[in-house]
Amino acid sequence: MIRVQESVFDAGVEQRALLEGRSDIGAVVSFTGLVRDFNERPEVQALTLEHYPGMTEAALGEIVEQAESRWPLQGVTVIHRIGRLTPADPIVLVVVASAHRRAAFEACDFIMDYLKTRAPFWKKEHTASGDYWVSERDGDHHDARRWEMSS
Amino acid sequence: MPLSNPSLTHLNARGEAHMVDVADKPESRREASASGLIRMQPETLALLSEGGLPKGDVLATARIAGIQAAKRTHELIPLCHALALSKVAIDFELDEPESCVHVTATCRLNGRTGVEMEALTAVSVACLTLYDMCKAVDKGMEIGAIHLDTKTGGKSGDYRRDEARGERAVTPSVIESAPSPIVTGEGTSGEVSVGQRCDIAAPCIRVKCLAELRERLGVGDVSVPVDRLPSSDVAGLKTALKALDPRFEGLDQGRVLCAVNQVMAGDATPLTDNDEVAFFPPVTGG
Repeated sequence: MIRVQESVFDAGVEQRALLEGRSDIGAVVSFTGLVRDFNERPEVQALTLEHYPGMTEAALGEIVEQAESRWPLQGVTVIHRIGRLTPADPIVLVVVASAHRRAAFEACDFIMDYLKTRAPFWKKEHTASGDYWVSERDGDHHDARRWEMSS
Repeated sequence: MPLSNPSLTHLNARGEAHMVDVADKPESRREASASGLIRMQPETLALLSEGGLPKGDVLATARIAGIQAAKRTHELIPLCHALALSKVAIDFELDEPESCVHVTATCRLNGRTGVEMEALTAVSVACLTLYDMCKAVDKGMEIGAIHLDTKTGGKSGDYRRDEARGERAVTPSVIESAPSPIVTGEGTSGEVSVGQRCDIAAPCIRVKCLAELRERLGVGDVSVPVDRLPSSDVAGLKTALKALDPRFEGLDQGRVLCAVNQVMAGDATPLTDNDEVAFFPPVTGG
């Protein structure tokens, strides 16, 4: 299940929904990304997330499909928020269910690495010293490349 | 009717259903557009346009449903081939006088089979999703008039539905699910418009600049006539944009990515009429 939404999500509710009525799932890994109050500059007061409707959902769908082709997964939920968020708000949720923990851990890690480098979202941070668009990080690309080398 | 009727390509010599072998057909550019509508109470339509329905953003959801349906047509229609569609576009037009939503779907690919079943499936499922999203307030909605409008490419030749579309043809006002770019400075939301048609009559490419690039260039959406492109690809579009406005020199500054019809693309990606090309900076979500 993939959702792009302005409203807040509840990681517990989403995880329970993914597991409801299932007894074949042996492991569920849930990752939540939060807004920090420091990034390229200190004192981040808010950020605005822009996306490219249509392509965003397709890109997330493709990332989940790739994860499902690499690991035996029994359920995946990806929720990404858009619009204006403030520090401590949840931004992104990835919940991955599998029969065994290794697949769930790795697939969750993979989905986040690919989401950060391939899904069309852009962050603009609002700080005490002005607004700026967040730059891409080499570290994110390095993280995403790990999956190409190991495959 | 004799079962050997050559026009029924899904029946073999014994009149049994079979999947047509397309391996030896030449590849060509195929495109099909289909449309349909869903009638509802005027109050429902008003709620839909105001975003006041309990299930949320109705048109955005129906658009995704239509796109997904087009991709899965082969799972629904028994003798359809699985196709790698290069483009699926769903448009909605809210028609207050008729109290209905017109749904249009366009599918495209380079391949060996037509894409009219994909376009028709996309319209059908987009209409069904509109029903699902609105049924809490209006169970009497009616889906209808689903038909193929145009089909191009392939051996059987081009098709255009010879039907005057009445008053619709005169004022095709396209209603978008979201207003034009609303992220500027301290913007409160993160959406840009999608799915609008060209705002000029001649064949054209619809260009979008997103996020930091939009603010740096000061341009959100622009349409470029196809005949301005020195070559029918993304590189040609960039040249045409720079000739149109020097601000587009900024496309060469820093890392700028490109998507054609919402799929990542490069300078050599070919373009044709009504393609949607987006330029944007490296992504920073998550």
